[in-house]
Amino acid sequence: MKAGLLGLALIALAPAAAGQEGVADPREILGPPRSGTLAGPALDARTDEVASLLRCPVCQGLSVADSPSALALNMKAQVKEMCAAGYDREQILAYFERSYGEFVRLEPPRRGVNWVVWLGPLLVFLTGGVFVIRAVRAARKHPPAPGDQTSGAPSSSPARLPEDPTMARYVLQVRELAGGSGHLEPDRAAAASSPGDRRQRS
Amino acid sequence: MNHKVLIGGLVLALSLVGLLFANLGRDPHAVTSPLVGRAAPAFRLKPVGGGPPVDLAQLRGRPVIVNFWATWCVPCFEEHPVLVQAARDLGSSVQILGIVYEDEEERVDGFLRQHGQAYPSLLDLESKTAIAYGVHGVPETYFIDGKGRIVAKKEGPLTPETLTEYLRQASASTTQGPS
Repeated sequence: MKAGLLGLALIALAPAAAGQEGVADPREILGPPRSGTLAGPALDARTDEVASLLRCPVCQGLSVADSPSALALNMKAQVKEMCAAGYDREQILAYFERSYGEFVRLEPPRRGVNWVVWLGPLLVFLTGGVFVIRAVRAARKHPPAPGDQTSGAPSSSPARLPEDPTMARYVLQVRELAGGSGHLEPDRAAAASSPGDRRQRS
Repeated sequence: MNHKVLIGGLVLALSLVGLLFANLGRDPHAVTSPLVGRAAPAFRLKPVGGGPPVDLAQLRGRPVIVNFWATWCVPCFEEHPVLVQAARDLGSSVQILGIVYEDEEERVDGFLRQHGQAYPSLLDLESKTAIAYGVHGVPETYFIDGKGRIVAKKEGPLTPETLTEYLRQASASTTQGPS
């Protein structure tokens, strides 16, 4: 009887006794590794690649590969261990995502609402392109007549003076100071050079 | 054309305002743990000061409080007496476990001798357990129900009130729902 109880107790304790110290093996969560085991420079390269895709949880916008914090170093050590055991990139990212959430991925995974992030810029670019093409086509259909003054601001023509005589005077003054009188319309030029202005044509 | 631009602009502006309004009052620093509602990651860790390893799986049937802490963490100092008192008051109905986060065994041992100890503090080599639990900083406390599921996570120091409230959730979850 005693031996039986002891046996039962041993059976009950066996998994715990056999289990290694530490936290549960990633295999219990992820299943068997999907890639081949790695070692040497290939292992270092894969470790850096995967660690650069993980966000350091205690830093501001740094990857696990770039952060010198103790937690990031420990995370990188775990990434290395998992790469060596043959877990592929997606499995390792999924392992960390399980405990830290999607936040831990520096690249948003291509699923659900995240597609907005991936396709949004492309969509904006294409929409902009459509607008540009339409504007160019419209401009080709109705080309502006040569000498057409209706398009653009009235002041775009160098010979024109503003309607307001005071403004016209100032414009004239500026033109003269700039070194040339320009092509003036006679009537406006006369209106602009009023007798009261002493600085005119001094 | 002007109407189209106006309507387009309104739709864009209103959707942005809606997004801002929906997130008003949300703490951008609050990180919700994806582990809440799921099975607590299993661990088997050695306690500070020696003794047989503690296995989480063998504590099923009663709520477990897992507290990540360190001697270099000031809020952990404030929290320590709250947890020690809770461990003494609650007895064997609840198991409290400390997990040492990025610290040295001698320092932790010294701290516990000086400030008292009422529950085991476990050593987590290379922070593997902390990583499995998604720990960002200390103190962080996980409340696990009798079925081994994480019911709640508390970031920052516990007060007697918050501890009681979370523990009530863990106890309720132990007796309810699917196993």
